[in-house]
Amino acid sequence: MNGKVIDNKSKKIIKEESNTISIISHQLRTSLTAFKWTLKMLLDGDVGKLTSEQIALIQKTYSSNENMISLINNLLEVNHSDEKISISYDFKKIDILYLLEQTLLEFYGETTKKGIELIFIKPESPISPVNCDEKTIRIVFQNLIENAIKYSNKGGKIFVFLKQKDKNVEISIYDSGIGISDSDKENIFKKFYRTKRAIKKDSVGSGIGLFTTKNIIEKHNGKIWFENTAGGGTTFFVLLPIS
Amino acid sequence: MTTMKKILIIEDDSFLQGLEVGKLEKEGYKVITASSGEEAMKKINESGISAILLDLVLPNFDGFEILKKIRETEALKTIPVIVFSNLSEEKTVTRSKNLGATEFMVKSNFTLDELLKRIKANLK
Repeated sequence: MNGKVIDNKSKKIIKEESNTISIISHQLRTSLTAFKWTLKMLLDGDVGKLTSEQIALIQKTYSSNENMISLINNLLEVNHSDEKISISYDFKKIDILYLLEQTLLEFYGETTKKGIELIFIKPESPISPVNCDEKTIRIVFQNLIENAIKYSNKGGKIFVFLKQKDKNVEISIYDSGIGISDSDKENIFKKFYRTKRAIKKDSVGSGIGLFTTKNIIEKHNGKIWFENTAGGGTTFFVLLPIS
Repeated sequence: MTTMKKILIIEDDSFLQGLEVGKLEKEGYKVITASSGEEAMKKINESGISAILLDLVLPNFDGFEILKKIRETEALKTIPVIVFSNLSEEKTVTRSKNLGATEFMVKSNFTLDELLKRIKANLK
């Protein structure tokens, strides 16, 4: 399992993937695929019944593995950003409310641990199904919520709103975190860019999250922008066309 | 149980291959396997293959050479060939499709259940 060595003969095809990041990604993906399939088998009970505690642990590991796969996909998107994006988008009518709720569920453990309140303000009226690629829109939600958590302080609050506005849906994520300075506004969606405040708050970060997020939104003919909120913090807005 | 259609899996990672075989056999498919390009070139001549799952990075011959050979083989000209790889560059996807791949799937982005669905859909 895993650790497949690329021999000289296989290098021929690997040359199709033009650079080191693609080659490393291929190797990492192979290992992550093995984890993904094995964990899924365990979760599905294919190799015996598990206790609820075991399922919870494996579910967390599975989610973590999925995050790693998403990270590699993000990296490849950035790596290929000067070319056509290679990751295929599978557009289907998606229940965006359900997708957002499911994504938020992944973060409640972390927010509780950090003493941050994550509050979802549900829409008052029904939301039409949105024609989008579920996997990449999930990445958008994950990136924005992760940022809101990462740059919030203990005791902070994060509000997530979902609204239908005519032929679009608007998702907004408000945090009471460190905010974005005027000098960073122009660069915030640029590849590998991290603000000084972000680096000070958390030195670990790739600077590709918002870049990737914007790319994905634009693939959906949507829009993303942000506003600083009074008293500090930022609100990110995502507008997605319904059809 | 699904019909006993024969699927050829060309995959050199023995662990992944084992999981793929297990999943398909459980669904009632007859599965044959190849772990290298050379072995794949022999196995594609077996009769009655309904679909092929093709990895690209393989010892001996690469997946493109195999795909080309598959489409040159009269009995296999129109059968579904799903390229199932952890490569994903645009030019790799395009080259696969130009050589006659029915579909291109990035392994790490799919569960085995999703793979099975795609195989079933392509066999309809």
